[in-house]
Amino acid sequence: MDSDIIIKLNKVNFYYGQSRALTDITMNFRKNKVSALIGPSGCGKSTLLRLLNRMNDLIDGTRIEGEIFFEEKNIYAKDVDPVEIRRKVGMVFQKPNPFPKTIYNNIAYGPKLTSMNTDDLDTLVEQSLKQAVLWDEVKDILNKSAMNLSGGQQQRLCIARALAMKPDILLMDEPTSALDPISTAKIEELIEELKKNYTIIIVTHNMQQAARISDETAFFYLGNMVEYNKTEKIFTNPDVKHTEEYITGRFG
Amino acid sequence: MEDMMKSFKNNSMKWRYFKQTLFFGAVRLSALIIALALGGILFYIIVNGIGAISWDFITKPPTDSMTKGGIMPAILGTIYLTIGAIAIGLPLGIASAIYLTEYAKQGRVIRLIKVGINCLAGVPSVVFGLFGLGFFVIFLKFGSSILSGSLTLGFLILPTIIGAAEEALKAVPQTFREASLSLGVSKWQTIYRIVLPNALPGILTGSILGIGRAAGETAPIMFTAAAYFTAKLPGSIFDEVMALPYHIYVLATAGTNIEATRPIQYGTVLVLVAVVLSIDLIAIIIRSYMRKNKRW
Amino acid sequence: MTRQTKEIIIKYVFFTFSLVSIIVLGLIVFSLFREGLPIFGKVSVKDFLLGMEWYPTSDPPSFGIFPLIIGSLIVTVLATIIAVPLGVMAAIYISEIAPQAIKEILKSVIELLAGLPSVVLGFFGMVVVAPWLQDTFDLPTGLNIINASMILAIMAIPTISSLSEDALYAVPREFKEASYALGATKFETITRVIIPSALSGISTAVMLGMARVIGETMVVLMVAGGAAAIPGSIFDSVRPMPASIAAEMGEAPFRSAHYQALFAIGIVLFFLTLFFNLVADYVSHKFRQVGSGTL
Repeated sequence: MDSDIIIKLNKVNFYYGQSRALTDITMNFRKNKVSALIGPSGCGKSTLLRLLNRMNDLIDGTRIEGEIFFEEKNIYAKDVDPVEIRRKVGMVFQKPNPFPKTIYNNIAYGPKLTSMNTDDLDTLVEQSLKQAVLWDEVKDILNKSAMNLSGGQQQRLCIARALAMKPDILLMDEPTSALDPISTAKIEELIEELKKNYTIIIVTHNMQQAARISDETAFFYLGNMVEYNKTEKIFTNPDVKHTEEYITGRFG
Repeated sequence: MEDMMKSFKNNSMKWRYFKQTLFFGAVRLSALIIALALGGILFYIIVNGIGAISWDFITKPPTDSMTKGGIMPAILGTIYLTIGAIAIGLPLGIASAIYLTEYAKQGRVIRLIKVGINCLAGVPSVVFGLFGLGFFVIFLKFGSSILSGSLTLGFLILPTIIGAAEEALKAVPQTFREASLSLGVSKWQTIYRIVLPNALPGILTGSILGIGRAAGETAPIMFTAAAYFTAKLPGSIFDEVMALPYHIYVLATAGTNIEATRPIQYGTVLVLVAVVLSIDLIAIIIRSYMRKNKRW
Repeated sequence: MTRQTKEIIIKYVFFTFSLVSIIVLGLIVFSLFREGLPIFGKVSVKDFLLGMEWYPTSDPPSFGIFPLIIGSLIVTVLATIIAVPLGVMAAIYISEIAPQAIKEILKSVIELLAGLPSVVLGFFGMVVVAPWLQDTFDLPTGLNIINASMILAIMAIPTISSLSEDALYAVPREFKEASYALGATKFETITRVIIPSALSGISTAVMLGMARVIGETMVVLMVAGGAAAIPGSIFDSVRPMPASIAAEMGEAPFRSAHYQALFAIGIVLFFLTLFFNLVADYVSHKFRQVGSGTL
């Protein structure tokens, strides 16, 4: 296996009850790259993202076929603890969802509960907030409730919270769709910065965003992966006509 | 009248609005009657009962075959029984609700459990009394005691508490759970650290209404805990107690001199109503405050 | 122990707790049967249920609870007749008509009314309503069917009203808007669109209100008068089942026929209310509206 591949999907089918949400997905995600998943609503891109840290386990009546390898190990194998996977695969959600706790405790929550080495929690909190480019804005109000922050700040806090777990991969499910343009720009800059150390897989509705920040882009339609290639290629000269139609806004 | 009807039918819009006015009048009247019923009952109890209330009435035991003196043992007994009911109903209720909202998947077992809870909620209080007598007092040999009464009341309020806790747990946004789980925090820790603390105020206010019910119930404690009169205060959970609701019933129906003890009866009723309704009122106020200051 | 095993154990611990309600229900049946069934060695089920004479302390005693069943049913029906219009109309007022401030107050009023202990309402019926009835209608006693029914109606109103209100509130706004858009008045919208859509919820509310009334003890014990006979008018006294249990249990010798008969009444009462609750549950699930698109 190619050494810079971190996640490998092999013939993945996924069902909500009787209806199939993903059909025969086979694809690889590469280390330290930003991969974007695009496609119209209901195409299965968010479902796929949530498969990668086994968040779909939380939904009743779902079923998966096929294999997903994370660093050569099938994360859907019987002996795998999903909790273990989620520690290595962090997630940022569509709407900022800080806990109703202080800023400090939002960051410290995960490390404290997962028996990470927490000797120097203060440093970890500072580090994570700095990585998420939030430190300067909140360093004096660490003991204030996170609910008082603006939407953009909350989202960066959520990113910092995920980073505090020192994951290998960061999954982002439309992380800027609930934010204003200025906050969006900040998050995009941040993603640019983070890909030096992390593998980022991002679902986005916003085609320009995918074009701006990602290295590779996969286009999904009705549960199928239509095309997956270098972002530049997808946006300038896609192989499939369908992809071109979507990107140029002819449907979607 | 005949003419009026005709003119209404000729002018259909007017007729339609006339019906509406009539209906709205009836609807408002119904609401008014209900409000007046509560107001009337409270007013009557307060006016007649306030004269009996004094420091001695609340802090002294009854004397002269319960025709004089206070109601302190009954107040104390009600407090004991209510605390006992909470100690049993609250943890069981919260634990049930945690399973139902956090762990259970839709299916037959859950449906059965929910029907069971609804049926338990509908069991008449006197049947709870018989159950307490047959099971705790006789079968488990706890005797007529604080323990038997508390267990009976605890199971009586269990469905109320489960309902309140379920509602409060469901009100905690799913995104909180997802955020915690996505960090690799286990399910139980997520429930314990995130879900429960955020649901707790709602659970407690919802449960208070059940607790008010436990304090005011008579039939379930008649055969399981309540004594007509006790010379001593209870020393352990295996002792019988006097209780406010039963004391009212006894004085009003079987006292040595029913007419002469009316003031004491009114006084006791007032104390019970004050206790129960202030418990309820506190719950209602906290709840409306919480709704206005919702953090998420 | 791995974390996964621990999590599974925790899950099963909570599962066990969630079974407590069903276990208690089972224990209730067990206790009632254990103490009550032996009576049917002495009296046949038919004579017990349909016997016209309840003389548990005579010699020989007779254990016919038909008059008690009739007593229960008559006060329940009458209380329902009083409570349903008041409760449902109040619910309509709260959910469709009342201004916000009055709505909040009225909801609190209904909640407080639900909170009034039954012994307090019984006391009120005894010392206030009974003398008034006696004087006004020149009756031998004011402790009778109509008095008990009125007080029981007060107890049923909160259940009926708050559950009906939930049902009315759940009617999708689209329905109302569609009706208004067709030029219907508010009255027509309420009676032809909203109430029919909420009907299953309202029926459930009524069933649960009735279940509450039929099992209510202190009110009928203190106010219904206690005569174990078939009444001739609504001004006669009756002895509903819960009243008989509460009044006589204290005097019935332990495990005597009388004591067993009282438990047997408890069995009848338990299954009667269980029936009401199951029907209410069935109605509310069978006809529950799912989303605004499906009907």
